Amino acid sequence: MTLTEFREEVRKLKESNKYPELKSYLLPALWMAEKNFPAITHDVMRVVSEELSVPLVEVEEVARFYAMFHTEKKGKFVIRVCTNLSCMLRGGEEVLSELCRLLNVKPGETTPDGLFTVEEYECMGLCDGAPAVTVNEDRYTNVRLEELPEILRKYGWKG
Amino acid sequence: MAGRVKMEKLLLRNVDKENSHTIDVYLKNGGYQSLRKALKEMSPEDVVEEVKLSGLRGRGGAGFPTGLKWEFAAADVKEPKFFVCNADEGEPCTFKDRVIFEKDPHALIEGMLIGAYATGCRYGYIYLRGEYPIGRKILERAIGEAYEKGFLGENILGTDFSFDLYVHSGAGAYICGEETALIESLEGKRGEPRIKPPFPVNAGYLWKPTVVNNVETLANIPLIIERGGKWYSGIGSPDCPGPKLYPVSGKVKRPGVYELPMGTPLSEIIYEHAGGIVQDRKLKAVFPGGASSSVLTADEIDVPMDFPSLAKAGTMLGSGAIMVLDETDCIVRAALRLIEFFRHESCGKCTPCREGTDWLVRLVRRIEEGEGSEEDLDVILSVSETMENSFCGLGMAAHNPVASSVRKFREEFLTHIELGRCPYRRG
Ligand SMILES: Cc1cc2nc3c(=O)[nH]c(=O)nc-3n(C[C@H](O)[C@H](O)[C@H](O)COP(=O)(O)O)c2cc1C
Ligand code: SF4
Ligand code: FES
Repeated sequence: MTLTEFREEVRKLKESNKYPELKSYLLPALWMAEKNFPAITHDVMRVVSEELSVPLVEVEEVARFYAMFHTEKKGKFVIRVCTNLSCMLRGGEEVLSELCRLLNVKPGETTPDGLFTVEEYECMGLCDGAPAVTVNEDRYTNVRLEELPEILRKYGWKG
Repeated sequence: MAGRVKMEKLLLRNVDKENSHTIDVYLKNGGYQSLRKALKEMSPEDVVEEVKLSGLRGRGGAGFPTGLKWEFAAADVKEPKFFVCNADEGEPCTFKDRVIFEKDPHALIEGMLIGAYATGCRYGYIYLRGEYPIGRKILERAIGEAYEKGFLGENILGTDFSFDLYVHSGAGAYICGEETALIESLEGKRGEPRIKPPFPVNAGYLWKPTVVNNVETLANIPLIIERGGKWYSGIGSPDCPGPKLYPVSGKVKRPGVYELPMGTPLSEIIYEHAGGIVQDRKLKAVFPGGASSSVLTADEIDVPMDFPSLAKAGTMLGSGAIMVLDETDCIVRAALRLIEFFRHESCGKCTPCREGTDWLVRLVRRIEEGEGSEEDLDVILSVSETMENSFCGLGMAAHNPVASSVRKFREEFLTHIELGRCPYRRG
């Protein structure tokens, strides 16, 4: 998406009349940015700031506050591995280290080809299927270490 | 235990039906009849009275009487008023609200409509946690269907009542489940709690009267209107009646969400409904009400799962999320993981919570890594006490899993200290 297209989308959002005041569109606008750009950069924030009449510093503060917004460049696929209690008890930490080993990254890092970002994540509400992993919006539950390569290949992993 | 009567499914009555998320299936099973009854046969005051009579207490964690909250909101004359559903479900190991809005979204929408009618709210938002993108699609589709059939929008069912409803996605911040932080987040800000009072019912979204109710709370409403508050008040514990959803996870054979009468004993939930402990091991410890609850030992699990009984047992019902540890699990490691969560999620606004969670992580980690000392245990308890002075519920409860583990499993902490390593560590 170009910045001009993004600006158009934010304008459409405003026309939806979903909120009685402009600032409330901030999270929806940042979500749109998160989905359409590799990172919510200052250029993107500036568009949001102008369209919603919210000072740039406030846009940045909000973008940095929420864990799901990436202000640094992320991979095409964000892999979230839950290691909170129920997943930890059922092998979530092992899943995380095996994924990092396969992709040769540390938690929080992105593969050099820009395909995957691996994140150690808090509970995602999939605890009845612990250990749980999500890849963008896809869910994987009761994940076994042996099936990780197969999961990765679905998203274009060549390893 | 033979001959136990199986409770009729109420909150989960629809979830096993094919396409239960569609309006056609919901309508075929009597859906939106309670809304019709409320709008056509009852005044807003009647609805509030019926909910008060039911004894329903909020399922989001605090257990506040729903009818009373609605009465306060209805009494406020500022306009417009907002009705917000708290679908942030951020408490670790809680996954009960997800079942409702993914499998029976119209029950939630109908509950919100009835609540909005009772309190005079014109606009509604479902604040949905960012990690639930599938739920978002299902809810948006359901809202679209409800508009098509005339259950949302202007002059609903030919009456004067109008209500518009939207989904607002959070973006990964546990603190936004706290109702005032949620409102800040809805307003496009960082999720930092506000000082109370004023309460949201008087000064919430854009400082207008705002009702905030949990998903599960609202899913009860159509049932109460359909069958009456008196009927409802006869289910489960007398002082906090109704059906309750218990999400059970960890080392049980059948993790999942179980609907049972409020006050069902914890032991029954674990051993009968969730199938007992994996590989028939011994149960070691249970966090009975999410990550902010104090731990219970194997000797303490005969407790009824409701607000007053768990408070009496020194812990809390919270979201009702039951997390089970078996004899091979390390309590120090578990406590560490939970306090790491709270350190990550502390919004940083107040010192006791921001500094306290950081201290606790460092102290417990030191012990877990075999570098701790016995004095650390006293420091943990005194830091925990200081955290009671935190600004909001996050900091006030964050130390519970750690402090209670130290108190109840002191021996295990000491073993780590004496051995200089974790006795449970594999490999
Ligand atoms: C730190 C914190 C997190 C909370 N998270 C949630 C949550 O995820 N979902 C929820 O419904 N209530 C949550 N609550 C409780 C809400 O503040 C509020 O009491 C509730 O939404 C009111 O709805 P109810 O009366 O229907 O329970 C949280 C409270 C605190 C202090
Ligand atoms: S207790 Fe924690 S989460 Fe609550 S306001 Fe203070 S720092 Fe923020
Ligand atoms: S603990 Fe991992 S999804 Fe809940």
